[in-house]
Amino acid sequence: MKSENRTISTGATGLAGATGLAGVASPVSVSTDAPDGGGSGSSTFVATPDQVAASQCPQEQPVFSVRDLSVYYGKNLALKGVTMDIRPRCITAIIGPSGCGKSTLIRCFNRMNELIPGARVEGEILYHGENIYGPGIDPVMVRRHIGMVFQKPNPFPKSIYENVAFGARINGYKGDMDELVERSLRRAALWDEVKNQLKKSALDLSGGQQQRLCIARAIAVEPDVILMDEPASALDPIATVRIEDLMQELKQDYSIVIVTHNMQQAARVSDETAFLYTEVDEETAARWGILVEFGPTSRIFTKPKDKRTEDYVSGRFG
Amino acid sequence: MRIAFHKELESLDQAIVQLGALVEKSTRMATTALIEGDVAMAERVQAGDDEIDALFLDIEKRALALLAQQAPVAGDLRLIVAILRVVNDLERAGDLAYNIAKLAKSQEFRDPQLKPVRALVSELGQAAGQLLSAALDAWATKDEKLAADIDIQDDRLDDLHARLIEELVELKGQDSLAIAIRLAMIGRYFERIGDHAVNISERIRYFITGDEELLG
Repeated sequence: MKSENRTISTGATGLAGATGLAGVASPVSVSTDAPDGGGSGSSTFVATPDQVAASQCPQEQPVFSVRDLSVYYGKNLALKGVTMDIRPRCITAIIGPSGCGKSTLIRCFNRMNELIPGARVEGEILYHGENIYGPGIDPVMVRRHIGMVFQKPNPFPKSIYENVAFGARINGYKGDMDELVERSLRRAALWDEVKNQLKKSALDLSGGQQQRLCIARAIAVEPDVILMDEPASALDPIATVRIEDLMQELKQDYSIVIVTHNMQQAARVSDETAFLYTEVDEETAARWGILVEFGPTSRIFTKPKDKRTEDYVSGRFG
Repeated sequence: MRIAFHKELESLDQAIVQLGALVEKSTRMATTALIEGDVAMAERVQAGDDEIDALFLDIEKRALALLAQQAPVAGDLRLIVAILRVVNDLERAGDLAYNIAKLAKSQEFRDPQLKPVRALVSELGQAAGQLLSAALDAWATKDEKLAADIDIQDDRLDDLHARLIEELVELKGQDSLAIAIRLAMIGRYFERIGDHAVNISERIRYFITGDEELLG
């Protein structure tokens, strides 16, 4: 399943031009101009090569390259000038205080922000070298191939089997569906619990099981990256540990990006950590998120470079 | 935020200063007891070891509780790790002062023939005490430069120790072998106190810089 050619296209060649993708691009303005500065540039600590080595993430081409990404909701700047890489088979945590743009950032990876009226993106995100905000890229196709797991488990009101099969089916999966469903449920550490009840409604499962079903659903469309926005926040401690253990297993095959407000969780599960923080314009009281520091998790939690990072992880401010 | 946590951390930091003062005093008294043949003072040093051990245990327990309950990270974590390691070095230095005091009770060192050797031992004792004081000053101020200097000062201590051994090897007279052995042990104890002071300085530097090389 992990073929060397991991692109969004259903064909083999690449993003734009493959039949499944090039289509009517949704009406979103995309600009690769650098946004005009709202004050001095924020200093971003991007990991140096020896730090990347220390993170134990494979030193291969990044799965995602975020380049000077800014997000606006209408006229309001929400996220400014983010540049970072998501590495393959690596867990990257995004942490920061409330309202700093963590969810906004992760929703950029599968173009979900555009479902919010007035949302606008500047800069680029390269997925295996191709800009998912490029002209001719259909955001629906992006979303079909890069799934997200949310804080509140949101299985479809269908059977367990259908939840997993649905996405693959509309993507045109022509292989053995039973095998795909089983494989995905096994990978999400849920198969043994549900194998004899695949026709049962997904809504009958417990919260933790529903969340693992959502992970299986995301895996079934055969992405190489899984996005998770506070995946364990609504779960009890035991279900949380199971999700965290599952992430360690999934890491062998997938890149995982996780937004979490639980710092200890970020410290426990992730290989690399991005710390976002809010900048404020004193006069207008406008606020936007910036990337303050990014590096191996072990370093962020033992000797962070920026005082804001140090204060945040030490709990000196919320 | 997390006021209770940071207050406790600060309190533990202070407790190290307190423990350091006790060990400093023991070292000073043990040196004096040795040079002047003051048995009473030697016994006070031995009695004082209980207080050192009690404070050591208290610090360890509190540091452990802080680790378990507060999950410190970054600078706070490095400080707790430094505290746990320094408390160990101080407790060992306290034991060494105890050992010196115990040996000091023997009046054999009062022999006039041993005057030059005694002078060297006295110098060694004072140098060890000074090194320890410097380390504790660096801890209290968290001064990296001060801490880095201690390594250099330790060279002088090693020098004095080497000279003492040379003198002891040449010792003649009745019981000279037994005396030389005991004085060599005392010299070694002082030299070890110096080593603990150097360790303390390295923990301080690790806390300040986070440089993993200093963990070794």
